[in-house]
Amino acid sequence: MTEKPTMIAFQDVHKYYGDYHALRGITATIKAGEFFSLLGPSGCGKTTLLRTIAGFEGISSGAVMIDGRNMAGVPANQRPTNMVFQSYAIFPHLTVGENVGFGLRRAGLTKDALAARVGEALDMVGLKGYGARAAHALSGGQRQRVALARALILKPKVLLLDEPLSALDKKMREQMQVELIRLQRQVGITFILVTHDQEEALVMSDRIAVMFEGEIAQLADPETLYRRPNSRKVADFIGTMNFLPASILSETGGKLEVEAQGFGKVTLEAEQAPGAASGEGAAVGFRPETLTILFEGQTATDRESMATIEEVVYYGDMTYYDVRLDGTEKPIRISMRNVFGRPVLDIGARTRVAWSPGALVLFR
Amino acid sequence: MMKGGWFKVYAIGYLVFLYAPIIILPMFAFNDATVIAFPLTGFSTRWFSAMLEQPTLSLAVKNSLFIAVTSAVLATTLGVFAARASTRYRFPMKAGLMGLIMLPLVLPEIIVAVSLLVVLLGLGVSLSLWTVILGHVLICTPFTIAILSSAFQSLDQSLEEAAYDLGESAASTFRLIILPLVMPGIISSLLISFTISLDEFIIAFFLAGTEPTLPVFIFSQFRFPSAVPVIMALGTVLVCLSIILLTIAEYFRRRGIAKSGGKDTGGFL
Repeated sequence: MTEKPTMIAFQDVHKYYGDYHALRGITATIKAGEFFSLLGPSGCGKTTLLRTIAGFEGISSGAVMIDGRNMAGVPANQRPTNMVFQSYAIFPHLTVGENVGFGLRRAGLTKDALAARVGEALDMVGLKGYGARAAHALSGGQRQRVALARALILKPKVLLLDEPLSALDKKMREQMQVELIRLQRQVGITFILVTHDQEEALVMSDRIAVMFEGEIAQLADPETLYRRPNSRKVADFIGTMNFLPASILSETGGKLEVEAQGFGKVTLEAEQAPGAASGEGAAVGFRPETLTILFEGQTATDRESMATIEEVVYYGDMTYYDVRLDGTEKPIRISMRNVFGRPVLDIGARTRVAWSPGALVLFR
Repeated sequence: MMKGGWFKVYAIGYLVFLYAPIIILPMFAFNDATVIAFPLTGFSTRWFSAMLEQPTLSLAVKNSLFIAVTSAVLATTLGVFAARASTRYRFPMKAGLMGLIMLPLVLPEIIVAVSLLVVLLGLGVSLSLWTVILGHVLICTPFTIAILSSAFQSLDQSLEEAAYDLGESAASTFRLIILPLVMPGIISSLLISFTISLDEFIIAFFLAGTEPTLPVFIFSQFRFPSAVPVIMALGTVLVCLSIILLTIAEYFRRRGIAKSGGKDTGGFL
């Protein structure tokens, strides 16, 4: 696969609101045609960063480049970006068609050409024939689609999406996630999504920047982010991560000898310890699904430990077990897919747990 | 049960107190007698014809309409600027400044009138309809700001950003998006300041010089008992006009809300 050209480059971007340091030296690049997400808790600066691309927010120092051009001094209405707002910002006094065609007002198209473009855009988002409707009479999901059509009709280089799905109910949200991915592949435009929903980011993005307090904590593809988070904070923010205290015995030739509570001595590859030292003391982390409870007649393919079940949470398709490995103080969570004919274990039961050193992440 | 009964009495008494004088107005306007007293003597429209023949009255009406329209337009224009600034921008001393602008709302009008008179005379400005307009703009502006602030406040800021993002300039965004959406607010602001200015007496009395305005004319006519039925006729016309005006204002307000898909949260009617 050939390397895609850079569409957006942040060069040491800082932003102050008075004394408040909202963006603390953001340096990152976003490639053309990428579905990129800015993920973080509220107040982490992700929306501010998005708005610096759109031009709604100035920056205190550094540079924002779009397609190789420094955006300093370029106002929002002249940038090659369009935005889908959290509130959708559908103009309530206009029809759906007038909303979608709003950006083409200045293009000098004939009435027929304009109508054709609007029809095309509405068709693309699945709202064929809605052009004459009053915009304020639409449902949430339809507003979302109108906002998308209105932004995409100008064929921007970058489409900015500010928490576009947060106002929808769960089912609608999941449907729109899939549609957005499909739409992005269809138009090939760079999409930049701001979200606080880690699942949404994992589902939709090619790459994700996880932000905390005005800084990018980790920038990686969803799988790396999930499997190899580089800090406890990132690990905690994305999905569920179990932690057990550990100590590093030796570090030689890209291999780490680690003594982890409950697991004993394990050898880890260097890539399993992606983060820098935090000063909190070392720990190994692992996802709930990387451990397996062994039932009678099953044997571990790799390693196994003994444990006691302390809590059982039944979800229908899944059962979550809180188990305490022998030799540890606090329970860890294991998720098991329920299989027909296999019993759900009781609290207090002793069980064998299978695990693999390869699934562990070391936090220093 | 008893409690509900008393509430009914109170409600009816309150309505009688409010509207009885207004109902008496047309009764005597159409009554064929000079003296304002019961019993009524007969139906007549002569007071209305007498009203139309009054040359000072038509001048007063003309003056008042000119003052009211001009004041309404000026006060609403100022109101748009102030409301936009107060809801959209942050600037130092904002709370204090807005407080100062809203102060005429609670200042005794007679104080405003007298001090304006002193200042204008001190500056050597001769009194005219324009000095009345000046005073009326001063007292109407706080009302227009109050009305328009709520109109601007309910405007989602991302609507502006969206228009700007789609290539419009700040000016065309204002024209295409903001203005249509706050138009109901602007219309009710115009109507309210028009009404305030039209029946304002104290400032007009002090600042009009020799030009009569409608309230000043009405007041002066009460010196002549024979003119009172004419005033009743005039009052009837004014009440009808007010009701029509208010209905129009309400119509525009509701249409504005329906158009922008908002929820109706009360109004004048």
